[in-house]
Amino acid sequence: MTDIILNNIYIILLLPLWVFLIIMLGRFFSVYVNKSIIYVLTLGASILGAILSGVGLYSLNSDKILETSFPFIKINHFIIECGLHVDKISLIFALVLFVVSFFVQLFSISYMKDEKKNYRFFALLNLFNFTMAGLFFSPNLFQTYFFWELVGVISYLLIGFEYKNPVKSLASKKVFIINRIGDTAFVAGIIMCSYFMFSYSNNINFTTLSYVDMNAISTLIYAYTSTPAFWGICLLFIIAALVKSAQVPFYTWLQDAMEAKLPVSALLHSATMVALGVFIILRLIPLFMLESGILKLIAVFGILTAFICSLCAASQNHPKKVLAYSTSAQLGLMFFALGALNIKAAVAFFVAHAVIKSMLFLTLPRENEKWSYVNFTAFLIGGLALSGMLLSGVASKELIFTSCKSGLSITAFSIISFLTAFYIFRIALKIASEGLEKVQPRVIELLAIIGLFIANILLYVYLWKYTSYKVAEPFWAALTAWVCTYILFIKNAFWKVPVLYPLTYNGFYLDNFYTNKITKIYEKCCQILGKFDSKVLTNYKPTVFVAKTGVRVTKWVETNIMNGAVLLVQKFSNFLSKLDLRLQSGNIQKYNAYAFIIITIIISLLLITYTTILLNLGVGGE
Amino acid sequence: MITMYHYLFLGLVLFVIGMIGAVVSRHVIKMLISIEFILTGVNINFITFGTFCDGIKFDGYIMSLFYVAVGAVELAVALYIFYLMYHKNKSENVEDYGDL
Amino acid sequence: MNGLTNPIVFYPACVVMILFALMTINFKNIFYSLISAIIVFFLAGMFFYVLGSEYNAIAQVLIYGIAVPVILGLSIMFTENKAKPEKNTEKGFNFKYFMYLVGGVFVLAIIYIVMTSNVVVPDGFNLTGCICQNPHSILSAFGEGIFLKYIWAFEIVAIILTIIVAGLTLFKKGGKS
Repeated sequence: MTDIILNNIYIILLLPLWVFLIIMLGRFFSVYVNKSIIYVLTLGASILGAILSGVGLYSLNSDKILETSFPFIKINHFIIECGLHVDKISLIFALVLFVVSFFVQLFSISYMKDEKKNYRFFALLNLFNFTMAGLFFSPNLFQTYFFWELVGVISYLLIGFEYKNPVKSLASKKVFIINRIGDTAFVAGIIMCSYFMFSYSNNINFTTLSYVDMNAISTLIYAYTSTPAFWGICLLFIIAALVKSAQVPFYTWLQDAMEAKLPVSALLHSATMVALGVFIILRLIPLFMLESGILKLIAVFGILTAFICSLCAASQNHPKKVLAYSTSAQLGLMFFALGALNIKAAVAFFVAHAVIKSMLFLTLPRENEKWSYVNFTAFLIGGLALSGMLLSGVASKELIFTSCKSGLSITAFSIISFLTAFYIFRIALKIASEGLEKVQPRVIELLAIIGLFIANILLYVYLWKYTSYKVAEPFWAALTAWVCTYILFIKNAFWKVPVLYPLTYNGFYLDNFYTNKITKIYEKCCQILGKFDSKVLTNYKPTVFVAKTGVRVTKWVETNIMNGAVLLVQKFSNFLSKLDLRLQSGNIQKYNAYAFIIITIIISLLLITYTTILLNLGVGGE
Repeated sequence: MITMYHYLFLGLVLFVIGMIGAVVSRHVIKMLISIEFILTGVNINFITFGTFCDGIKFDGYIMSLFYVAVGAVELAVALYIFYLMYHKNKSENVEDYGDL
Repeated sequence: MNGLTNPIVFYPACVVMILFALMTINFKNIFYSLISAIIVFFLAGMFFYVLGSEYNAIAQVLIYGIAVPVILGLSIMFTENKAKPEKNTEKGFNFKYFMYLVGGVFVLAIIYIVMTSNVVVPDGFNLTGCICQNPHSILSAFGEGIFLKYIWAFEIVAIILTIIVAGLTLFKKGGKS
């Protein structure tokens, strides 16, 4: 039974695609009007995917890898393959993806009820599931890149779902463009890897850059490249991961992505889009492992992001922005764990963060609505978990803490834990002070939140049973933070630190730098080039002469040659139409005769060519 | 010594003559006869293969039997169409039928 | 040397058959061409007999040699229209001879294909020799073929014949009203 599931794991991948096609085509041709069919199909695809990947995860032996691939494009010896690559990591990622997306879809049934054309929304969610699952199961870097681009496009579509709103469409465009930097870096890295493999490797299998041969490929690349070139390749991949995971120089796009609908944010910021950076680094760990400096670089980037984004989050006033910065910060912690080669902790924290963060997003109220008590309680529970004091949060954070070796990193980690607890409790107190009200809870939305909470508990039970962790500094730091924040709130003494507050509130002005300075530099370049055109080239005599001669030549060609050609075409079509008139005589015998003649001509020509080819090859001649 | 190829050649020639006749002739009945020539040529091919290549089942013979039956049916239908056209145009020349 | 591989039987019959077929399409008088067509059909029946398929030969002679020409002759008799002179063919370019040329090219091409093709001969495929035929086995093969193997084709042909007969009657009635 389990073997059957493992052998047919592609069903996970195809179910959302089928649902997407069914919804889009069905609505396009107005086959059905009833929306409950859409809901049932969407939820069914997600829950089936979750069950299948869960069973597969349960029955897969720990080090086993199932791989099938076949050539997709073939140019001489250069082959791009596509297929499936099933191992523990991909199944874990798929399981988290489908669990989270199931609850998010359940939530959005209630949330998007009154939206126009919401079938498009559900179809896009399904397509997104398909692309993510395809990326997790892809066997080589080329297919990963293919799905990587698709994820970018579909996230653009999802964020800009209300494309008639100019602010939102602009935000989605910006997200897309910033993501393009990472895509370019990624494809450049792939091309360099492929080039080195193609020129130096004797084994033709390595040129497909399959993940199964990743160890051998990395060793070969390391052996045949100079150190700067190797660093360049690794840096390109790291940049791709940094951009997709919203790390230090590129974390601005996550705030723009906040313009999206609530379910979209919950999906994008937890298990799907930002997970890609972690996933790609997990896949390419054999490459980065060869040079310890690169691993250190990843860890430094991670801890830097965690620090900066925690600071930024501490000064935001809107819960959505706080959550966005906190996503960047938590992903930074994951990068830190990956840099320390603590892969188990990174994956555990990824799962925990996905569940907690999507739950936190789902508790947020709609625009122009106040917080209800139920939602606020759920937000508090999620905040406790996020700051590492409750359930899966505490277990996974302590697991990550085990990768801290030096005193410096222990200190930094404690500070980050403190900041995390501080900003989450600060925003919670702010919400509470603005006043809560009793609202009749929406049953379906509550169900989704409770489901995610249960997933959280299950994860905690698993971690508690199968891993050993002990409560250490981060927990105490977080506890201190909650107490400090509460005291500060009671004394009404949240300071706005003079320099730090505006700096962090605006995200260290990185966004302004991108929008103002870089576009200005680009405009300056354009202006200088324009001036060069108008001032220098026009006064330089040979250029003018060349331009004038060109105009004359084109004029002559137009009058003498082009007109003649047009006339020729006209006459030729006249002749053809006359011929056509004779063909349409309506005489069936004539038609028969033409058919016979044409068949004879074709057969004779084929024979003649065939015989000449044979004679030239020396086969037919005696 | 006559081989299979001779019989096949005979079928081929009959087929081509039928083809030319169907295209060239002006009289409708002549056209129909030419079409029957085509069928006969194909039949000869079938029976040749049945004799030379298949000594157990004789599928070619059975197939040619079907051909004869279907050819007769086709002829009946064609004659009826000819009858209708003749009533309409009062002519047996094919060129008078040429308005689609 | 039996009838199948005997050139003294084959060549004269072959020449006569092709000649009469050509005459059929070249006669101006439709009755002459009908008579030569009857000869062609009879000769085809003879070839069937020589090839060892007596049953097919009988069917050919009965249907094409006798029944069909009778029907055709009847329809010619009913539609003979002597008032109209036959139209002249087109001037200059003679379409008929051009078609002969095309047909010749076609025949040559097909012969070339057959002669140069080196097909892998499967088991039981006897290109030159004849197979010893046992009339009893042919009969049983016919029975098995028609009533077991090709039963559906047989039924369909029967149904088509029925439909044709019924359809012609209906046409006739519709034409009158």
